[in-house]
Amino acid sequence: MAFKKPLAALAATALAATLAACGGSDGDNESSGGPAEKGGEAIFFIGPRSVEHWDPQRMYIGRDLNNSGRLFYRSLVALPASNDPVEGTTPVADLATDTGTTADGGKSWNFTVRDDVKWEDGKAITCEDFKYGASRNFATDVIIGGPANYLFTYLDIPTDADGLPQYKGPYTKKGQELFDKAVTCDGQTITYRFKKAWPDFPLSIAQLRYLDPYREDLDKGDANNFVVISNGPYKIDGTWKEGTGGKFVRNENWDESTDPIRKAYPDTWDFREGDTDEAIYEQLLADSGDAQRAVTERRLPPALFSRKDEAGDRYSQVESPYVDYVLPNFNSPVFKDANCREALKLATDRAAWIKAGGGENYFKQADSVVNPGVPGYQKNAAFDAMGASGDVDGAKAALDKCSAPKPVKIKFTYSGGTPTSDKQASALKAGWDKAGFETELDPLEDTYYSVIQKPDADFDVTWGGWGADWASIGTVIPPLFDSRINLTGSSNGNDYGNYKGGAEVDKLIDEAYAEPDLEAAAEKWAAVDAKLGEDVAYIPLEITIFNFVHGSKVTGYANNVSVNGYADLAVLGVEK
Amino acid sequence: MTIPGSELEIHESDGPVGDDAVVSVAGRSPTQLAIARFRSDKLSMVSFVLTVFIIVCAIAAPILVAFGVLDPNDPHQDLLASDGVVPQGSFGGVSWSHPFGVDPGLGRDLLSRLMLAITSSLTIALTGTVLTVLIGSVLGIVAGFSGGIVDAVVGRIIDLTLSFPQTMMLLALASPVVLMFRNDVSTFPGLGFFEKADLANGFFVIVILAVFGWPPVARVVRGQVLSIREREFIEAARLLGASRSRLYFKEVLPNVWAPVLVYVTLLVPAYISAEAAFNFLGVGIKPPTPTLGNILADSVSYTSADPTYFFLPGALLALIVVVFNLVGDGARDALDPKSHR
Amino acid sequence: MLAYVIRRLFAGVIMLIVMSIVTFALFFASPIDQASFICGKNCSAAQKEQTAAAMGYDDSFANQWLDFAQGVVKGRDFPDDPALRETAPETIVHCDAPCLGYSRERGDTVTNLIKDTFPVSFSLAIAAFILWMIGGILLGVTAALKKGTVIDRGLVGLSLIAYAFPTFFVGLVLYKFVAIKWGLTELPRYTSIAEGGVGGWLSSLTLPAITLAVFFMAAYVRMTRSYVIESFQEDYVRTARSKGLPERTVTYKHALRAALTPIVTMAGLDFAGLMGGAIITESVFNYPGMGKLAVLASSDFDLPTTVGLVILLAAFVILANIIVDLLYAVIDPRVRLG
Repeated sequence: MAFKKPLAALAATALAATLAACGGSDGDNESSGGPAEKGGEAIFFIGPRSVEHWDPQRMYIGRDLNNSGRLFYRSLVALPASNDPVEGTTPVADLATDTGTTADGGKSWNFTVRDDVKWEDGKAITCEDFKYGASRNFATDVIIGGPANYLFTYLDIPTDADGLPQYKGPYTKKGQELFDKAVTCDGQTITYRFKKAWPDFPLSIAQLRYLDPYREDLDKGDANNFVVISNGPYKIDGTWKEGTGGKFVRNENWDESTDPIRKAYPDTWDFREGDTDEAIYEQLLADSGDAQRAVTERRLPPALFSRKDEAGDRYSQVESPYVDYVLPNFNSPVFKDANCREALKLATDRAAWIKAGGGENYFKQADSVVNPGVPGYQKNAAFDAMGASGDVDGAKAALDKCSAPKPVKIKFTYSGGTPTSDKQASALKAGWDKAGFETELDPLEDTYYSVIQKPDADFDVTWGGWGADWASIGTVIPPLFDSRINLTGSSNGNDYGNYKGGAEVDKLIDEAYAEPDLEAAAEKWAAVDAKLGEDVAYIPLEITIFNFVHGSKVTGYANNVSVNGYADLAVLGVEK
Repeated sequence: MTIPGSELEIHESDGPVGDDAVVSVAGRSPTQLAIARFRSDKLSMVSFVLTVFIIVCAIAAPILVAFGVLDPNDPHQDLLASDGVVPQGSFGGVSWSHPFGVDPGLGRDLLSRLMLAITSSLTIALTGTVLTVLIGSVLGIVAGFSGGIVDAVVGRIIDLTLSFPQTMMLLALASPVVLMFRNDVSTFPGLGFFEKADLANGFFVIVILAVFGWPPVARVVRGQVLSIREREFIEAARLLGASRSRLYFKEVLPNVWAPVLVYVTLLVPAYISAEAAFNFLGVGIKPPTPTLGNILADSVSYTSADPTYFFLPGALLALIVVVFNLVGDGARDALDPKSHR
Repeated sequence: MLAYVIRRLFAGVIMLIVMSIVTFALFFASPIDQASFICGKNCSAAQKEQTAAAMGYDDSFANQWLDFAQGVVKGRDFPDDPALRETAPETIVHCDAPCLGYSRERGDTVTNLIKDTFPVSFSLAIAAFILWMIGGILLGVTAALKKGTVIDRGLVGLSLIAYAFPTFFVGLVLYKFVAIKWGLTELPRYTSIAEGGVGGWLSSLTLPAITLAVFFMAAYVRMTRSYVIESFQEDYVRTARSKGLPERTVTYKHALRAALTPIVTMAGLDFAGLMGGAIITESVFNYPGMGKLAVLASSDFDLPTTVGLVILLAAFVILANIIVDLLYAVIDPRVRLG
């Protein structure tokens, strides 16, 4: 069951407007090199942020989810290579015969696996492989890291008192009967049964990898972290070396006729890890040597932006799916008071933050924690009063009503370590201090999450960034602000601001979740967002803008919405 | 890099060095001789003057900031190019009001930041040196005097410390230890200031430098102690009933200070360099508080767009190190004319 | 001699044991929640506990170290779960003795990680070593011979300046300007002998080796110079000269030989220290050696890898110390091993 038409129209308007305005890509974006052909050796610059997992049930980084989905991991459904806001976010059949059927409004879903698809060693892909893959999400004592929580929440398996599911995964097989009832195989047809309706389940399959099939006979648990068992156009040559990378060559057991999405033009893909952004882009700008056949997910550093004309039409700009925001800590003595939060909001100078990070070419002001690219997005009017650079007078007035002793001392704990993060924090501090706050900057690096996730941490303000896990507001607002799933005695989960919406907000969230008509659901989510804005649960900052350069010998380059705006490896080729 | 012991021997003294009244009749004390030799060496004098100048800058910087003469934190984003990053103008935005230009991204005055950076870097280096010398001297004296088991134990501890890979331990321990300082140590009465990030970070660097830097000092001091402990004046003091501590500090220490002083003048620049390197790896005082290390670490992203921002702090760092090293060389030559230039 | 070596080796082993205990203790005392790094951001409290239990981080300090020590001697299984061994034996990794641990973050045994990274660090160290020894000694001797002249002053001055620039600065200049901005060389990327032949391997080492060598060369120029000058003033050299021996013989056969002893011993120690100390160079050039591994391990609190590296690198230093002391005894008969 795909999206209902009216919602699609909504999404289309929102996305088309934003994307077109950026001068980004439209349907057929062939920026250089001409139409793609088979052959050649392509290169992907991974850069300084290493791949953490190639195990599909453990992957959670957008870049790796997208790349692996285009090169070696197929699933029941996938997103077609398209930049059309509707087509690019509507799943099509991949290893399944159709896009799934549900007879009960989404409480259970059926997919039939194709008969003619194989693994890289020639073995046929079976329903059991999908069942096994899903079961691995539960073995969190052996393998962990992926978005398994979605399965824990939805799949019809009872939970223990500590909140963990009673099924402990296929290695220990504790509670295996419970899983075998929730996910069943009848011939090649797999059925997933949920506790509550999950109308957009196919999108979750398409945009994440945690429901990918897996080979039980090749499973070595944690030792398989960087092992790639392919069913796509490419397989790994040798082993993956963390810090260096790996090479992917053609998988002879991948049948083109079964795969309408992936064109697999290059003969090989060389993934390189470890180079700095500057090194990567100096090569790309100069179009020198190997860089001619390279693409990357890393963005053009602001310091080099003035040279983008060297790249000519090899340069592209896309709005990312990510939003950055600032969170007042509801547990802090200062921000318990709504007036103080209001003052913070009005004093936030988004323009200075943006400029410190690279300016308008790198960031666009955000008006909600939800990214405009997510279907159903609506601007949050609660933040209109902020203006582009904050409202100092309004902030001062609100601060007068704030109960904390003046000057109001606040501690801003943020994830530091990048050259821009410290500058951006200083820019925010300047704005807040102008309104009468006295800000102490507290950059943390490795310890950032372990510090701010503690409910009793003593920061007053922190920073957050998020992108939807799949194209639904239900993967933005609840993970960040639903106190029921985030706040425990020892951690605040992703709700770093310790926001508690209370019964009213909880009800609104539940109603939005349960709404099967996605357009009506969008309205309900907007209502939740409005309440969040009223309470100043967050202060939106900006949407990251991607600036990419690719090599001159790359053909068919496209930044598709179906891969979150990154380069779509499904349709890329390189000249020999 | 340890300094070969042969270069650090002081020559025979005529008697207890501390007693100037007696010696002045007989001629100039070794100290005065050394100072005279140092004075006559032009290169050492120039370096010495520069060193003093740098130290004065370091002391003056926070005062100037408090008085508003220096302005290291105010952003001037209007001085940046329209794309918002690189300073306008050549050499990173040099102008009369910003003699060293401004930094990319925020447009803060670089001269102010560099002066304040010297303060941070020098404070860490000097404190680290003092701590290193303190620990090393005390342990060296104790080991040299006590001999036997105590000496052997100190020797093993020295071997152990020297075998640890310093940089690795530094990296591995940075986050946990700093967190411990800020959360746990600061709860002790009177130590509340450790809550501040800069102090905790800076202190961690100082501790690491001292913990891994004291063995060579201890070895040198121990060597000195071994060579003088059989001398008559020590015997005399002991026979006269001098307590251990009086022995250590009033009789031994004055004879040991010369090689230690040379070590100090060489440690300070080494520590300044080390602090910069640590900051490059992400350990130490973090921005916005400027140190030479973190300004250089920041400049790495802008090397092609704003090379001035990279080369200026680097040259300043090298200059400071060179100048301190020259003073050290001069001190060594002045104290031991047998060594050669 | 043999007894001495055995004694020193034994003392060395004791030291390694102590060092492993100290490293474990430091991690144990740290307030960082290591399990959360494996678990990831979206980790509930219950999951974190589960991860900690699976990795043995919730065990007492003594137990954790004893497991480690046992592993070194006997070998170990990861995860050490008897229930798992029955139901899913293929997920258990067998780590043979000497087992330095298993890194969940890197997904491999520490021994394998070191096997991969050691050749890189070693190549770098050797290349730098050859460069600085040849350069340092030659230039130092030259300066000593031409003492007082412009050449001498120039060399000493240059050494002083080269010594003053921190290694990372030199590395950055070479990497960002020489290689990237001005394109004078290929982008540095480590190539093993297997990939690029000896030629490729050597040329991939050039820039980082120079980076490392600059600092040491500067120090060794000055050191060699002062040792040679000092030995020129020794009596036996004056004797040799007065005997009428040619200057060449005096210099190389007598003066330099004497100066070489302390230089070589210092070099041995510096080389050993270099194995673990090239962290900065490996970071700047992004070479996958043990230094880079140390950086990765410290950013996600990978205790097993850190302990393994500390022990290995310390073992190098200890071994180097023993060898150097032996060499000293062999070269200089006046030295007695005690």
